[in-house]
Amino acid sequence: MAGVAAVAGGVPGNKVDWRLAAPLGLTYLAFFAAPFVILLGVSFYADSEQTRLGLDSWTKFYGDAFYRKVIFDTLKLGVFAVLATTLLAYPLALVFRGASPRAQRVLIFIILMPLLTSVVIRTFAWIVILAREGVVNQTLIGLGLTSTPLNLLQTELGLVIALTQIEMPLMLLPLLTIMNGMDQNLIDASRALGASKWRTFFKVTLPLTLPGWIAGATLVFASSTTAFISQSVIGGARLVYLPALIYQQVTVVYNWPFAAVASFTLLFTVLAGIMALGWLGRFARTS
Amino acid sequence: MTQMNRRDLMAGAGALGLASLMPLRASAGIDIAFDSLFAVDQVAKVRAARGVAPFDCFVLDPGPAAAAQAAGLFEPIDASKLANGPKVPTGLITSHGVTCNAQVVGIAYNPKKFATPPKGWADLFKSPYVERLGLTGFQTTFGTVSIIEMAKVFGGSATNVEPVFAELKKAVAKAAAVAAPAAMPGLFQQGQIDIMYTNTNTVAILKGRGVDIEFLKPETGAITFQTTLHIVKGADNVASAYKYIDTAISAEVQTELQKQPYNMIPINKDVKLVDTLDIKSLDELAKMVTHDWTVINPQRAAWIERFNKEITK
Repeated sequence: MAGVAAVAGGVPGNKVDWRLAAPLGLTYLAFFAAPFVILLGVSFYADSEQTRLGLDSWTKFYGDAFYRKVIFDTLKLGVFAVLATTLLAYPLALVFRGASPRAQRVLIFIILMPLLTSVVIRTFAWIVILAREGVVNQTLIGLGLTSTPLNLLQTELGLVIALTQIEMPLMLLPLLTIMNGMDQNLIDASRALGASKWRTFFKVTLPLTLPGWIAGATLVFASSTTAFISQSVIGGARLVYLPALIYQQVTVVYNWPFAAVASFTLLFTVLAGIMALGWLGRFARTS
Repeated sequence: MTQMNRRDLMAGAGALGLASLMPLRASAGIDIAFDSLFAVDQVAKVRAARGVAPFDCFVLDPGPAAAAQAAGLFEPIDASKLANGPKVPTGLITSHGVTCNAQVVGIAYNPKKFATPPKGWADLFKSPYVERLGLTGFQTTFGTVSIIEMAKVFGGSATNVEPVFAELKKAVAKAAAVAAPAAMPGLFQQGQIDIMYTNTNTVAILKGRGVDIEFLKPETGAITFQTTLHIVKGADNVASAYKYIDTAISAEVQTELQKQPYNMIPINKDVKLVDTLDIKSLDELAKMVTHDWTVINPQRAAWIERFNKEITK
């Protein structure tokens, strides 16, 4: 903890030169903050032609149960993706931790491999896997587990399955980093004192790896709630999420004030989810 | 050779661009930069640019073209500057646009999956077709005009789509997929759907990939509309844009465009149609169903919102 305190407090006479952050800061100011303010301004136009000011777009969006459900569904998708990636990532991270250096290199390659392929390609590959005549259905029919193909595409379940694979590296990489740095003595001590494997996991491993999980969950949540391509291609038009709604309002309906309200909603609901995950960090232990 | 930077010329229509690239370079010494965009995205981009043309030419379907025209995003067209203009049938060069190809929309189905093909739009809502149907909404030109034609067979019109919404609500629970328009060919190819409404261009592309697919003109008639080229208001390279448009409607480029992988229906009268297209002569287009987009566009936003709310979960 002493080391952490020294960094946090700073070394006297060794002040941070804020000019170092100026290039990125100015870029953000010009290309994020300024458009952000313009977007906010557009949202206060009452009509799609942007001729008169008013709160009509806001009241239409939040006054309509359909759009409130779109917000809820978008957040729910993010939560499901985080849960699914967590359930699969923790066992793999534990295997990784116990593996030999050579096996770890192989595992890292396998984990990183999806990142080397475009998300568009990965998403379209899931059509081939989940379709009626796809790999999953052919296998299930071949094994006699079902006589008619299951409907996996165009469902929330299919979308969560695809997103779990697509977003998995984002969960695994921070988790592996923190799990590899975990003190083995603490686990050994827990086991030596009679705790079961499960009790050791929940009382020692989980709290110690929580910062890694929070980082991974934040990335997965933000990425899956805004995954326009996967949501559109795998989810189809039966499932409406905020990114597709924004695209539709911008490019087809040309109702930019309404799209601006939806954009702000997406931004702040995702931000709220990230803040909630950050709040969990207070329960993390570092040693 | 005139080297143009990316914001100088052309948007959309990758096929049109690719087929025109070499002839334009050879004949006019013009190099083209492309922005690969859907028609709706082109219009959105130019509207967002607020007077600073991000490219010089649009390639649009009639819906987005009518919206862009209403928003004043086109330069007027001087037909006398197009050497190939007289080769284009009367009426296809207007005050603000030049038709570069025609599209024909109807029903596409997998002949191996149905003992008897459907006859018309109403059949899509009946068994065994509805269970294998891929539905798409009002986001695209082909989707919008197809649903209007469905509305007509159920007693509606271009201003009254109420009857088809009633049918869609019943069909949506049974339909094989309700998807984004761009996803439909992939879903058909993967066997997720076996029947859909689409254009001959998509059918020819899928057929070229070995997919079992046939195009069918509904008994009430196939739909036709034109894809048009326009010069963006305030474009930097108007003279080059005219040369591009002229090249695009030339017999040389139009002949290429009707072949694989483009499969577009040509509009140049000198072009002999290939047999892979689903029409035998350009005269057939005159007998097909057409739509007035100045009537459709004002209602479209409400239809899209309704489709979102009623047809999706």
